[in-house]
Amino acid sequence: MSGPTFVELGHYQVRKRGQGADGDAFLSRKASDGRIISALSDGLGSGVKAGVLATLTASMAVKFVSEDIPIRRAAGIIMKTLPVCSERRISYATFTIVDIDSQDTVKVVEYDNPSYILIRERTQVEPIKGEIRVTRAGRGRASAARGAVGREAIMRYSEFQARPGDRLVFFSDGVTQAGMGTRAHPLGWGAPAVQAYALGLVEEKPDISARELARRMVQEAEAVDAYAPKDDISCAVVYFRRPRRLLVMTGPSIDPSRDAEMAAIFDRYEGRKLLCGGTTAAIVARELGRTVTIVLERVARDVPPASTMEGADLVTEGIITLGKAAELLERGESAVRAERGPAARAAELFLDSDHIEFVVGTKINEAHQDPSMPVELEIRRNIVKRVAATLRETYLKEVELRFI
Amino acid sequence: MDGEKLKVIICSGTACFVMGGSELLLLEDELPEAWRGRVSVEAAPCLGSCKDRSCGRAPFVKVGVEDLAGATMPALLALIGRKLGETLGG
Repeated sequence: MSGPTFVELGHYQVRKRGQGADGDAFLSRKASDGRIISALSDGLGSGVKAGVLATLTASMAVKFVSEDIPIRRAAGIIMKTLPVCSERRISYATFTIVDIDSQDTVKVVEYDNPSYILIRERTQVEPIKGEIRVTRAGRGRASAARGAVGREAIMRYSEFQARPGDRLVFFSDGVTQAGMGTRAHPLGWGAPAVQAYALGLVEEKPDISARELARRMVQEAEAVDAYAPKDDISCAVVYFRRPRRLLVMTGPSIDPSRDAEMAAIFDRYEGRKLLCGGTTAAIVARELGRTVTIVLERVARDVPPASTMEGADLVTEGIITLGKAAELLERGESAVRAERGPAARAAELFLDSDHIEFVVGTKINEAHQDPSMPVELEIRRNIVKRVAATLRETYLKEVELRFI
Repeated sequence: MDGEKLKVIICSGTACFVMGGSELLLLEDELPEAWRGRVSVEAAPCLGSCKDRSCGRAPFVKVGVEDLAGATMPALLALIGRKLGETLGG
């Protein structure tokens, strides 16, 4: 774990109606020293051009800061690099850069995005923000004609120590300006209403995850915009929380004398528990004197049905289910949400956990190696490694692997 | 009554599932009207038979006390029919 808390990042976005590409960009990265750097950038306008500038800006921010360039200096370099629209004299992209170190010290630089919301103990707190001024050289014919030699851009810098339970919510102006020009919101949804909505969501569901909070914020902004967004709408949430732990037990040990040990690990684990594998479930049930019940409702043709057992949050078949869950996780969160069934439920459990511990039995089931099998079955530890890599790299989860 | 019902347990372990067990899990829908209420259909995470070659090949189904290896829907229905005939004297 990087700090006293687990840092969960969530992000959600919708594009301007009619556009084929996102004009906002959100990137995050874990640096080698454990810092987590993320950036949300909103490109001027919408569509591909905005998307390219936003991605460029966010990539620079994340790259510079993770390479140990201090966040204030990195922001200055980006400001000087960013092109300025010759007509409107404003930058082509805005940004919010968040740098979280291993002790949960948070540094934020904001440029032209709406102000972030920091929610602590269900109320909003506002850290003091300083200014960073960068003078950019006037460029191009337009500025020469106006006699401009330079233009000052002002960024806001703040730093605070995050506490367990804190949430940092930041978003593009597609959120605050949603609904602009409508009778209900002539001037847009507005920062105060956006803040109140975020607080309301946390009030209503105190353990709401970062990804759900980000999604609900964007969906509400979309609703305010009458479901026809007039701009790209994106929101990112950082949630500093006590880690949610998940045990995944899959496969029997090569040494049957370790069955009791496996069952004991399962029984004593504090956190949620997922059993993947018929034999595994049978061993744990036998050792602990429990029964496994399969629910034969809505049986899918591609994945064996899930079962229930006292003490387990979910019991599934092994290889096929894990393979399908890996595929869903690789395709992204929306793919997981769109599916039903045991593999999607397992994937949901992974996504809703921060620290995931795999206990993997290395015994190979010979029946799986039968050449007459209509499908080729992967070897368990390869699938587990694939799932673990995706969870680590794409979803920034803490993953531990143990082979028995 | 439950006690008189013929218990059918279909293995839904990996090997059985890919070897045709996925179809067998839909047994409930295939049962003739007259047999419903006389048969209880269940599934097991793994009956363990795939680990013992002498048991035959997957998929495996337990019908009452008898094990059916290499099960197909017609073979399973035939065995259930026979068992119902035997146990309920039909």
